[in-house]
Amino acid sequence: MEPPAPGRYSTSQYDSNTALMLIRSSNQVSRARILRRFPVPRSLGVPTGSRIERGRRWPAPRGARRIKTFEIYRFEPSSGNNPRLDTFEVDLDACGPMVLDALIWIKNNLDSTLTFRRSCREGVCGSCAMTIDGTNWLACTRFISETLPTASIYPLAGMRVIKDLVPDLTHVLAQYTMIEPWLKAGGAPPQIERLQSVEERKRLDGYYECILCFCCTSACPSHWWNGERFLGPAVLLQAWRWLADSRDEARGERLDRLEDPFRLYRCHTILNCTRTCPKGLNPGKAIAEIKKLMLERTL
Amino acid sequence: MAEIIEFPRPKSPHLQNYRPQLTSVLSFANRVSGIALALAAVGLVAWLAAGASGAAAYGAFDSFLSSIIGRILLLVSTLALFFHLCGGIRHIAWDAVLGFELRSIYASGWAVIAATLLLTAATWIAAYLIRG
Amino acid sequence: MVLRSGTEPQVQAQGLGSAKKGVHPWAAERLSAIALVPLMIWLVASMILLRGASYAAFLAWLRQPVSSWLMVLSLIAIFHHTALGLQVILEDYLHSALKVPAITTARLACFALCVAGILATIRIALMH
Repeated sequence: MEPPAPGRYSTSQYDSNTALMLIRSSNQVSRARILRRFPVPRSLGVPTGSRIERGRRWPAPRGARRIKTFEIYRFEPSSGNNPRLDTFEVDLDACGPMVLDALIWIKNNLDSTLTFRRSCREGVCGSCAMTIDGTNWLACTRFISETLPTASIYPLAGMRVIKDLVPDLTHVLAQYTMIEPWLKAGGAPPQIERLQSVEERKRLDGYYECILCFCCTSACPSHWWNGERFLGPAVLLQAWRWLADSRDEARGERLDRLEDPFRLYRCHTILNCTRTCPKGLNPGKAIAEIKKLMLERTL
Repeated sequence: MAEIIEFPRPKSPHLQNYRPQLTSVLSFANRVSGIALALAAVGLVAWLAAGASGAAAYGAFDSFLSSIIGRILLLVSTLALFFHLCGGIRHIAWDAVLGFELRSIYASGWAVIAATLLLTAATWIAAYLIRG
Repeated sequence: MVLRSGTEPQVQAQGLGSAKKGVHPWAAERLSAIALVPLMIWLVASMILLRGASYAAFLAWLRQPVSSWLMVLSLIAIFHHTALGLQVILEDYLHSALKVPAITTARLACFALCVAGILATIRIALMH
């Protein structure tokens, strides 16, 4: 079989442990058992209300032969209890190949209170973004076979949790609104479309495809420490999308709004964002383009 | 309309749970090496001040550097310097919007680690060969 | 992040508005970094050649006009870069009332150390 042509994705069957030393695309998963977490105590800096307690075990139904164990973060807001980690045994012969299929199977067969967002089941809506085995991805495009023997599923890292695997996206969406993600071209609307050459349209490729799943923002350590003021990779990528659009006429105003030691310049090019994007996009590059434009207007 | 009851929402784990990757690890190492170099810079100023204070002060400083602790500090400083230097060059390339494909990010990352070790080894070997 | 009670998410995201500055420290950090590449190569090479040298040899080396010039340039570049870098680190991790005093102390300390180093270099260069 020929290896896939270079592009944003490689299919998992071509992965090998040595290939993982040189990652080519974001869908390559590391299954290394060592260094799965930073060597910090699990309770480091965690307020008492967020401490995760041991939960219950949900065994697979009798007769299940291929069983896979999932550890899933649970939080019931009206219980007054802390979040907990439940262990579920899934019958792999009875559910589809993706992590989302396993979650749906668990909800249908073991615990109907398991709560998560989902919609398209094909990686285009961004609803089912979660932290699977310590990295952010969409549950519907992550193969169960790519997860660790005991897969761990947490809500998106560093976010307030509404319930179980549902993060509170209020703040990040407010940050998104703040960059005014719409075309700003003054004057009367033109009689025909606002024309754009092929090259100008190409400048939007790799940025317009963002599905706002916030996997990247949730993976960014700078957003963990300064999320209140730092806009994060998702919002900044969209800010670049509008800065790069030749039809937009508010470039200066957009740059003024971004030029801030926290809003833009908390980005230290850590690049966890590019590593984790489930659509293979490059927020790190978009932010670098913004910074370059920011510099250009002073020289 | 029903009363809205707010429950304090917990925060999902981040540093405690997120997988260390070459991206985040090298970035943190660049920061740690920077802090180490800030301390080494204090040492540089102390060395110059000792040199300006006369032979006795300089001799004392020199014998400290030749001690085990001194050599360890010099080794750590050399490692930090080359790592921060190579990492810094990698960062400057990114600021020029070069090398952002994941393939390049990972290749340059491993190259920085390799270059750091090679340059440190070369420096220490050269130092011993020249003066013993 | 905790939503302050009664605050609309949009208002909270706005904060105090954009500072409308930020390019300059970022660019200065990169400029000092570019200057530091050749300067540190020179410094390391000099350290290697000075390995085990006597006090007289050290003085002879630093008294050379080129050496003292490069040393002063190095000190300025090192401490400018360090001050900017330390400020970024402290801004990242400190969010309490400790932040401003810590940044002030770091910047002033870098300035003081830079001046100390330059003075020591000049004293050596002009020493009889």
